[in-house]
Amino acid sequence: MAPQVFTLAQTPITSHVFSADRSQLAVSLNSNDAQIFSSNGQEWVPTETLAEHDKLITSIDWAPNSNRIVTCSQDRNAYVWQETPDPDTGKLVWKPTLVLLRINRAATHVKWSPLEDKFAVASGARAIAICSFDPENNWWVSKLLKKPIRSTVLSIDWHPNNVLLAAGSADMKARVFSAYIKEVDERPAATVWGSKLPFNTVCGEYTSPAGGWVHAVGFSPSGDVLAFASHDSSISIVYPGGPVVHNIRMQSLPFVTLTWTSEDVIVAAGHDCRPIVFSGSEAGWQEAGTLDDSTAPKSAETRPGVGGVGRLKTGAFATFRDADSRGQSSISGGGSQLTNTKLLTIHQNTITNIRPYEVRGNEVTKVSTSGVDGMLVIWDVNAVTGLSGRLGGAQLR
Amino acid sequence: MASAFRKIDIDAYDEDALQESELYEADARDPAQVLDEARQRQAAVRSSLAKSDVAGALSVILDNAPYGPNVDEAKVLTLQTLLTILNTTKATEITGVIKSLSQDSQDTLMKYLYKGMAMPGWGDISGSVLLGWHEKLTEVAGVGCIVRTMTDRRTV
Repeated sequence: MAPQVFTLAQTPITSHVFSADRSQLAVSLNSNDAQIFSSNGQEWVPTETLAEHDKLITSIDWAPNSNRIVTCSQDRNAYVWQETPDPDTGKLVWKPTLVLLRINRAATHVKWSPLEDKFAVASGARAIAICSFDPENNWWVSKLLKKPIRSTVLSIDWHPNNVLLAAGSADMKARVFSAYIKEVDERPAATVWGSKLPFNTVCGEYTSPAGGWVHAVGFSPSGDVLAFASHDSSISIVYPGGPVVHNIRMQSLPFVTLTWTSEDVIVAAGHDCRPIVFSGSEAGWQEAGTLDDSTAPKSAETRPGVGGVGRLKTGAFATFRDADSRGQSSISGGGSQLTNTKLLTIHQNTITNIRPYEVRGNEVTKVSTSGVDGMLVIWDVNAVTGLSGRLGGAQLR
Repeated sequence: MASAFRKIDIDAYDEDALQESELYEADARDPAQVLDEARQRQAAVRSSLAKSDVAGALSVILDNAPYGPNVDEAKVLTLQTLLTILNTTKATEITGVIKSLSQDSQDTLMKYLYKGMAMPGWGDISGSVLLGWHEKLTEVAGVGCIVRTMTDRRTV
């Protein structure tokens, strides 16, 4: 099935998340407001605006079972939004509750825990706030994970046991922490990551191979494996037992987001503007291909060396090359080919967010991506196209 | 508008500032040992080049290249040795040689190419040779290799 493409805005989409039944969508369009869209079957129509933050919203998450939205922002605050009837009209509206995060830098990423009784907020204050609800005082309180984080935390992900938390940070490390809160959690069973888990236990610390910021982290569905993508254009898959770390260095630009679709498949995307699929097991991992089928409406010739180095050498590159080597300025009536700045991928700019969209049994069958180009794309995970050009090159080595 | 405040070293007022040494794992080897190894490698490269084994010479010099503080002499020596290899390789052989290198060596080679380009006129650096290698290396290892050169704090 061809990917479904929706252009939501002409501005970047900082974060996107669907409601549990996929009929609604919350996004932040690079502004202080979160926007709720509803589907009318054909396209997404804006229905409500969540306005409370006074700086850019950096991340949104929607708890599927309790139907609550949490937003976090550069204003160092997080709000939990709950649908409540309006006292005058009786209509359901989203009402915010402020969360006391106690951080002095921007919040960067937020995620509900699997049981939806906690959420974690990553921040630039070298800390992760673990927030839980205090029924006595009727507000959300936070507890900070601090040590040994040395820089901004860029991404977080919960382990299915509701206690462990993975964090990727700009100090070039991915870590696994215990976010055990006595008042909320039951004592967790032992996992591959450890058995005694008081709050702030560091269960694992893994460095990116060539010193890149860790942009994205993700636990596998079982929680026994951790994957992280870093700015050195590589993706690492960690089996904590050994520990065995599989690292795949990419020829292309770095990934900034990833998601597991099953225990042996990861989809990652980023500055290369198209989702890449990896598959493997503890024995080894490899690139399986891309979801962005290169053949679609454009002919093979117009997509030179998909995956190769020249892939991004389109309009802008050609313009400067011709100006340099032939003294041609394409601005004064150059051919349409020279002024064509359209990328050959579906996304026209960095993909910043990838999420599971449709789950069948234990496997994610569709994922959604959003990016700096204002587009939302829903991909069929099984429609993997091999990167023939690149794999050919890889085999030569 | 006054801009002097931009030059204030704010890290000096932060007790918990991130130190350079925390950014990467230090080389376990002693600086004297590193220099010694660099000399041995220089000799090994000469004998490989005498047998016109460019790929062998390159993998010798790029393996375990010196990085970090206090090994400047070894770094200079390694760069010099590497330049002799780069300058003596025929343009038609370059792609084949690069393909025979490991990913680690390719990444290290890219670091040296940028280091060389940052020091125009030093030693026997020739811009056109470096650019020639850079083009061929990018064709094989991709832009990812350049990204790794930029992110890696283990500078050569």
